[in-house]
Amino acid sequence: MDSSDKKPLQPLDESRFQVSPWTLRVDTWMGRLISFGGISVVLAVLGMLVFLVWQVVPLFTGAKVTSQPELRLPAAVVAFGEDEYGALPFIGLADGTIKFLQSSDGAVTETWTPELAGRHVSAVRAYSRQGLVLLGLDDGSVQFAKITYRVEFTSQGDRHLSPQVKLEKPLTVGKLTSPVRDAWVAQSANGSLVVLQQELNGHPVLTATRLLERKGLGGRVTVIPGTPSVVAEGVTDIAEVLVPSTADTVLVRRRSHEVLVYNYNENTEAFALTQTFKPFANTAQPEISSAGLIFGNVSAVFANRQGAQEVWSLYPQKQPDGRSLRRWGLIHEGETLPGVPQGIFPAEGNKCYLVVAGDRLQIRNMTTGSLRWEGPAPKGVQQVIFSRNYERFTALTSEGKLVRWKLEDRYPEASWSTFFGKIWYEGATEPAYTWQSSSGSDEFEAKYSLVPLFYGTVKGTFYALIFALPIALLSAIYVSQFLRPEYRNIVKPVMEIMASLPSVVLGFLAGLWLAPLVDTHLISIFCVILILAPLGLLVGAIWAGLPQPWRRQVKPGLEFVWFLPILAIFVTLAWQLGPWVESLLFTVKEGQTGTAIVDFREWWRQVSTLGYDARNCLVVGFAMGFAVIPLIFTIAEDALSNVPQSLVSGSLALGASRWQTVWKVVLPTALSGIISAVMIGFGRAIGETMIVVMATGNTAIMEANPFSGMRTLSANIAVELPEAPAGQTHYRTLFLGACCLFILTFVINTLAEILRQRVRDRYKVI
Amino acid sequence: MTRLKVRPSTERGGRKDYISIKNFGFWYGSKKALESISLDIPERQVVAFIGPSGCGKSTLLRNLNRMNDLVDNIRHEGDIQIDSRSIYDPGLEVISLRRRVGMVFQKSNPFPKSIFENVVYALRVVGVRDRALLEEVCETSLRKAALWDEVKDRLHDSALGLSGGQMQRLCIARAIANRPEILLMDEPCSALDPIATGKIEELIHELKEQFTIVIVTHSMQQAARVSDRTAFFYLGKQVEYDTTEKIFMNPSQPQTEAYISGRFG
Repeated sequence: MDSSDKKPLQPLDESRFQVSPWTLRVDTWMGRLISFGGISVVLAVLGMLVFLVWQVVPLFTGAKVTSQPELRLPAAVVAFGEDEYGALPFIGLADGTIKFLQSSDGAVTETWTPELAGRHVSAVRAYSRQGLVLLGLDDGSVQFAKITYRVEFTSQGDRHLSPQVKLEKPLTVGKLTSPVRDAWVAQSANGSLVVLQQELNGHPVLTATRLLERKGLGGRVTVIPGTPSVVAEGVTDIAEVLVPSTADTVLVRRRSHEVLVYNYNENTEAFALTQTFKPFANTAQPEISSAGLIFGNVSAVFANRQGAQEVWSLYPQKQPDGRSLRRWGLIHEGETLPGVPQGIFPAEGNKCYLVVAGDRLQIRNMTTGSLRWEGPAPKGVQQVIFSRNYERFTALTSEGKLVRWKLEDRYPEASWSTFFGKIWYEGATEPAYTWQSSSGSDEFEAKYSLVPLFYGTVKGTFYALIFALPIALLSAIYVSQFLRPEYRNIVKPVMEIMASLPSVVLGFLAGLWLAPLVDTHLISIFCVILILAPLGLLVGAIWAGLPQPWRRQVKPGLEFVWFLPILAIFVTLAWQLGPWVESLLFTVKEGQTGTAIVDFREWWRQVSTLGYDARNCLVVGFAMGFAVIPLIFTIAEDALSNVPQSLVSGSLALGASRWQTVWKVVLPTALSGIISAVMIGFGRAIGETMIVVMATGNTAIMEANPFSGMRTLSANIAVELPEAPAGQTHYRTLFLGACCLFILTFVINTLAEILRQRVRDRYKVI
Repeated sequence: MTRLKVRPSTERGGRKDYISIKNFGFWYGSKKALESISLDIPERQVVAFIGPSGCGKSTLLRNLNRMNDLVDNIRHEGDIQIDSRSIYDPGLEVISLRRRVGMVFQKSNPFPKSIFENVVYALRVVGVRDRALLEEVCETSLRKAALWDEVKDRLHDSALGLSGGQMQRLCIARAIANRPEILLMDEPCSALDPIATGKIEELIHELKEQFTIVIVTHSMQQAARVSDRTAFFYLGKQVEYDTTEKIFMNPSQPQTEAYISGRFG
């Protein structure tokens, strides 16, 4: 140094004080880039939320109805129907003539007159969906006129419909030869039913006849009427007859406002009265003014003159003799209508119905009771039919007009109560939260309650965390505070590798290896779990009681070396103890033979009366726990290790033991980091999909039973999205589920973050 | 040679060899940090350890309450006795040793708790729940640490809101709340301004009425001002140990004189 002191300082270039423009530019641009990145992240999250909401919002919009031009009818019409496209409606006149009208201008394009060989038509009823016109004749027989439309496309691509009417052979299905006053038909997969109303001595007589189809050689179908049975014999005040399409039931509404239910008995091959019920029995006005069967034909809506509504449905009910039989029962009381109800007409393909009340038309959903649409009613609505695709409806008025509407209601079953409320679905014995999105039948009503999925999500997360949290946090404390650093440097990377294990692998292991193992060795596993904590405490107590010179033999942080063999011995013992404990505590008598069987699963089924599934919450808890443990462990361990050593030293120097130091100083200081760890684990568990899909039965049930499966929101999306038609209720409901999941995690994470900030402010270290 | 104001040694009653370090050697792994140190520290006196960085004075200090046990791969030879009992006695719990030998660190390390909870931490650890006793100990300790008047209105505020000097005095209050017999201070003023340093030095004077104090310091002036006896270490060896007066006025070793006069270090 001395020699350099003597050298004169080299004058340096003054430019060294100037900052190079390049440095400044890079600084500016890096700042912008980083801001851009940060804002992009926020925007991406917001964008996701906006997308989800955008997918979901249409669910909560009502129906949109637009008026179409009315058609003035050329004659007095008694029945009408239309083709699939609504392009060529047909009308039935009282003499059985069928006319086809151009929907654009009402011009009659074709007229068909039945060849009846001198007989006369006395009743006409049209079934638009089936393309069927039922003609009742004055000799007591009926004849079907089948309407088919041949569709041709012109070279310009226009659709051209040409109708064809085929009159089938007359069927003698009544007991009388007097004119048919009215006729109904129901067609089901099991056969058809024709109901006739005739008159005898001025009193109505109802006859129900099953039609049997016999396929002959060459595929020819011959229809053979079964034995006609008289229904509602002696009932003179028939107000309305409802024939559900199940083809085995006739409902007769009397003017005394009682409904008689006649069911077909396979053994006697006759219809017999099975039930009588009276809607509005408990109200001041039991007078029914309208009734209508709902699509699916196991529910009926009744309305009284006050506008009150009741929905009756067929579902299993306990009878006084203890049997459970399907009987009609009240399932909903709908909202009051705005006027005197004049007619209830079912929609096609869903559980909506149109009701004419006063001068208003309303489209309502039977199940949820929600009002889909309301509009002014034309004068004198006699009959309303919906198109098969639920995109149009047409009303026949007493003024001889066909009034037509276009209907846009893609989510008729959607409403807040559908997704979050307890709903009494038709056929169910009580209101319930149900998720059942599809079935084999067209008449099936999809059930979209998100509540069981929420329940499953929370349940799965709960079991995962109850398993993972103690293990992850205790091991983080042990590794960061007690274990020697050289072992810590092995444990930590191993856990981090574990965190990167794909969940599909864990799910695969859980479903194919763990689930059967848990199923067969449940009690052994319980024994092992139960023995761990007492064993740890006991060994700790014994260790603390040993004289100091003995303890000196083991270096601090190496205690696990001699604890491991003890642990191994006791775990093996506990495992072996399992079958013995099971035979001691969980022996049950088999119901039939009375032999004693040692099986916890049977015992659980008998004692708890709940089910036992092989793929249950415990398996999910274990598997998801394994996915969550490394995450929680790593972050918690980091948080604990980052507690300044000076605080630990300070505490130890004051005479605190290692555990007191951990409990009173390290844990509170690291608490905000531990909360983060738990929240990240929670977020992983709540959104975990593959493990749940593979290791649970994916049954959307709501049971606290730890031995049953579940379905989570995320697994539900994974399983059902590929099958949900885009843009339909099902599809959007899945997005609603995603939205709920997003909001759920957002709310919980926000709360946790607020808590974390508070904790951090309180325990922040300088 | 700089003239230092040296407080004349005051011999009070008490054992001359209250802390007795005998041929003490210490290794971090294979690196030898201390070599055959032998010195006796009398009861209720202030002993300063001085020496350049890395000379082993902090290591020796941290051995007195076995804080070095936390470090891996350490080894020692010789013995340290406090009140005639070896601190390495297999029957002696290290926790009880630390309750007798309190420590104040170079960097103040208040716990992220309230001032009150910081002071009574040692009592909480031994399970004292009597609120009145805790409050009394808190007040007396804070008064002894000359902090009471500054914090008496905000005892339940976070200790992290204090200034650097206040924090260090809080750490001293925390250490003396335990009523230790010996107080080790590892450069307690190195991060403080002169006013705070002065307060703490005043404090050391008062505390020595009750405690035996061992202080490590880099400041010659401080050692001269506060200590009765001074030990000078160099490269892990004990160069000289005598009354402070002697060390600063008339050191017997040339290395000591060179260090004190600022010629190296």
